[in-house]
Amino acid sequence: MIAPRTRLALLLFAPLAFFVAFFLTPMVVVAVSSVTADDGSLTAAHYARILLDQYHWDVLWVTFRIALATTAICMLIGFPLAWYLVRIVRWRAWRRTCVILIIVPLFTSNIVRSFGWMVLLGRTGLINQGLLGLGLTERPIRLLGTETGILIGMVYILMPFVVLSVGNALAKIDTAYEEASADLGVGPARTFWFVTLPLCLPGAVSGAIIVFALAVSAYVTPALLSGGQITVFSMLIFQQYSSVFDFHYGAALSVTLLVLTLILVTIAGRIGDGGRKAA
Amino acid sequence: MIARLLVRLIALAALVYLVLPLVVIIGTSLTETSYLAFPPQGFTLKWFGVLFNDPSYVSAFITSTLLALAATIVAVLLAVPASLALARYVFAGRAAVSSLLMSPLLLPYVVLGAALMQFGTTIGLVRSFEALLVGHVIIVTPFVLRSVLPLLTPEQRALEEASMDLGATPLATFFLVVLPQIRGGIVSGGLLAFISSWINVELSIFNTTAALNTIPVKMFNYVQYTIDPTIAAVSAITIVAAALVIILLDLLMGLDMLSERHR
Repeated sequence: MIAPRTRLALLLFAPLAFFVAFFLTPMVVVAVSSVTADDGSLTAAHYARILLDQYHWDVLWVTFRIALATTAICMLIGFPLAWYLVRIVRWRAWRRTCVILIIVPLFTSNIVRSFGWMVLLGRTGLINQGLLGLGLTERPIRLLGTETGILIGMVYILMPFVVLSVGNALAKIDTAYEEASADLGVGPARTFWFVTLPLCLPGAVSGAIIVFALAVSAYVTPALLSGGQITVFSMLIFQQYSSVFDFHYGAALSVTLLVLTLILVTIAGRIGDGGRKAA
Repeated sequence: MIARLLVRLIALAALVYLVLPLVVIIGTSLTETSYLAFPPQGFTLKWFGVLFNDPSYVSAFITSTLLALAATIVAVLLAVPASLALARYVFAGRAAVSSLLMSPLLLPYVVLGAALMQFGTTIGLVRSFEALLVGHVIIVTPFVLRSVLPLLTPEQRALEEASMDLGATPLATFFLVVLPQIRGGIVSGGLLAFISSWINVELSIFNTTAALNTIPVKMFNYVQYTIDPTIAAVSAITIVAAALVIILLDLLMGLDMLSERHR
């Protein structure tokens, strides 16, 4: 008979060894490298360079602006869609089809989906064809290489996460609460605002956090839809590692992105917990 | 009533929005023109033929598939014992272990890719299948963990103890009692892992070369310079493959997680 302790050690040895070797150590290497100079001495120069350069602030601002707008729009469109699927659709086969339609894009690479939007948003793309056909515009609108273009693609790529997490939360709510509220004479709008919304807030917040975290660090979609016109933070990191080969500086940029994301995700998590307590 | 109508309208518009690009890609891959045209002009499968006659595409398909397969197998081999440990034992540092194994889910892939590249250069693990594999295992293991862990419930534990009490060895118990019960989680987590690896760009891009390339990275590099119906054809193949996997998953375990009866 093997002692429980030994058995635990046997179970955890391989996964821990792998994650320490190829995940924790590389992250530590990056953290250390971000505060060392080429000669190995400690320095804050890389961070100073990030903080003092207006260009970085501009890139950060664009990145966070796109991520915030993406999250907000995803919620505005994703919430009604989740509501529709959980509360309105009665026909099971249709709901099943819709769920598949929502998940298939999630399982298709960002490249393919962004490429689809490159085709749609181009000068002769379907969107411009439609706008011209409806007489809404005289000449093709420039969408590729603009923030609007990036937003359309990012919302597209991240919305399924909101639909799934809000949908799961909505499906778990016991409708008895809403019925009780209605029986007590509360109107549908107030019931929604004071009963349903607080109950699905944790699900909504976790969906928003996932979307925000993915949007802040997105690389492929902005790279393809910006047409080289707009730079987001992850592009700076990639440039440093793949063409400038300044690993120390790239490391400092990585740590900056990581820390900023963690701070915002933590704040959002607090708000989500507050919602849970209120419910 | 008006609110309900509005919700319906937004939902249907959102569904169109979700499907449109995929339809456009599949349509474009069938055009007879040598530039991207939607609606497609004519109907031809020649762009698919171009792909299958291009050795660089064929080898990228093979690399992606082998990589995803290997990453999934290693991830299952790491995640199953880890979930047993996390579900069965109370030990110091349990929370830390669990968050270490789950954190790749929240970490920006570009940051992880950069970290692995920097670390890889110091130990000579770069631009090779192994270098790609290591990164992919890290990002897909949480998927398997997340779908196996919830299945290791106290009820399942009771069956395991019954098996041991009846004299089965731990190994026999694992294969005859535990494994059949977590098989569903391994399959669904494994499929998620496979797909996440197959479509990854941000991590692979640091370690691919002209000779060792994955399909999404090859496409990424290609579409930045030219877009033509060949790219639409590769994309169409991946969309159809994804749809088939989803339908398979749906038939295996039912993806209708949004139905109210589900609670």
